[in-house]
Amino acid sequence: MNHLAYLDAGSGSLIVQAVVGGVAGAAVAAKLYWRRLVDRFRRQPTDQR
Amino acid sequence: MATSQPPLRAEPGSFRDPANRVFHLGDQVLRGLDEEAAGQWRALAATGFFPALLADGKVCGTEPTDPVTLGQGWTAALRHERIPFVSHPYEWSFAMLRDAALLHLEILRAALPEGFTTKDGSAYNLQWRGAEPIFIDVGSFTPTRVGEPWAGYRQFCQTMLYPLLLGAHLGLDFQPWLRARVDGIEPDQLRPLFGGTRRLLPGVLTHVHLHGAMQRRNAAASTADVRSQLRAAGYSSELAMATVRGIEKLVRRLDRRPAASHWVDYQRTCGYTMDDRNAKERFVAEALTAGARPRLVLDLGANDGRYARLAARHADYVVAVEQDPAVVDELYRTLRAEGERRILPLVMDLADPSPGGGWRGVERASFADRSDADLVLALAVVHHLAIGRNVPLPEIVDWLAGLVTPGGRIAVEFVHPEDPMARRLLANKPEGLFPDYRREEFERSLARRGRISRRRDLPSGTRTLYEVVVGG
Repeated sequence: MNHLAYLDAGSGSLIVQAVVGGVAGAAVAAKLYWRRLVDRFRRQPTDQR
Repeated sequence: MATSQPPLRAEPGSFRDPANRVFHLGDQVLRGLDEEAAGQWRALAATGFFPALLADGKVCGTEPTDPVTLGQGWTAALRHERIPFVSHPYEWSFAMLRDAALLHLEILRAALPEGFTTKDGSAYNLQWRGAEPIFIDVGSFTPTRVGEPWAGYRQFCQTMLYPLLLGAHLGLDFQPWLRARVDGIEPDQLRPLFGGTRRLLPGVLTHVHLHGAMQRRNAAASTADVRSQLRAAGYSSELAMATVRGIEKLVRRLDRRPAASHWVDYQRTCGYTMDDRNAKERFVAEALTAGARPRLVLDLGANDGRYARLAARHADYVVAVEQDPAVVDELYRTLRAEGERRILPLVMDLADPSPGGGWRGVERASFADRSDADLVLALAVVHHLAIGRNVPLPEIVDWLAGLVTPGGRIAVEFVHPEDPMARRLLANKPEGLFPDYRREEFERSLARRGRISRRRDLPSGTRTLYEVVVGG
């Protein structure tokens, strides 16, 4: 992380920029959400144990 | 023998980024850089884009200087070009904010291919050289890392894009919103205004609705996590550039043109005969040339800028203040097309001048604190304040005198109660409400604050011009 960034860029504000960046950007955002989803399913069984 | 050094004063508006801070030393504007920021400055100075932006006047003039001047704690120091009159975004017109936003994006677009970005995206990063915007926050440039979106996007939306959407799509004046909120407008505040089919207006669905929703859904996620997730998902420098281009394209589309009929009532000059106008222009020209060349002239109630232009022929810099945002916008567009660099048009209600704002009320200096004019022009405004807004005459004179540097002058017009314009204003008020609205009373007020050096009745006989040397 860039420690010189004094400003809270906002997590949602970072993601929405991908969506604004056209088809390629939307694909990045979709990939990010897909990975989050996959991660959640992967983690769930261990969480329940 | 010790020479008296002017005291070093930290700029109250420059504290948010601890890596660098702006100071005033007399007339000089200096910036202290810590060790890391100093290294970044050296890298920035070695790029191709930064010297080019400097040469084009798009970034304020910057040169290295001795950090010893700033005392302990700074590794390097920069000296900046002095901005003739600092203004705030809530004093700008629509086209001014749009041009400022476009310059910010242009600078970002120049920086990105060379591995630099800006830490923030605030409208306060910009100032004016007349009708030409300049980027002042040199400390904002920082090396970018592959796969990182613009950290300043949120701030850009809040202080520039959203105010422009309000103006372009809803025909609302953004100035009160920005004046009330130092950090700008939140997406959640805009959402209720952009419901229904308004969602389909350019920029609304993504930058307002989706942005707001993403902020809510990701409130618990840290920006560090999101940055690495975006990198892993393939967010690239090209994509960062495409995003900036997309925002730029949107901002260019946003416009707000007032209806033509709007101007009919606003020609201040129309109420005058040719003789009156000529006499008034002569008087103002004499006031401008009576002493040393004025450094700063304030034209209060500037309207179409007729007298501001006259003032600019004899003064270094003129600030033209007008209440109506549409009138200022028209003036700005004309001045910008002419490439005028010495007249700054500003939106402000004279009966409600900009107060101090932000942290402790000093982060954004009040209009009075910024004003140290050599000459103040108050032409055809006193009756509006005195009759229209009920401000007592001595108060008006005190306020005008307070905007002037010691030994400076005021050129002020008094409209007699018998004048048709004054009668029209008086007709809307209960009879006998303004027994003191008389020429003698006004002259007494002027004499209390200075010396009346010249006085001229206009040929029509119902208006008088005064030149007053404040404290003289």
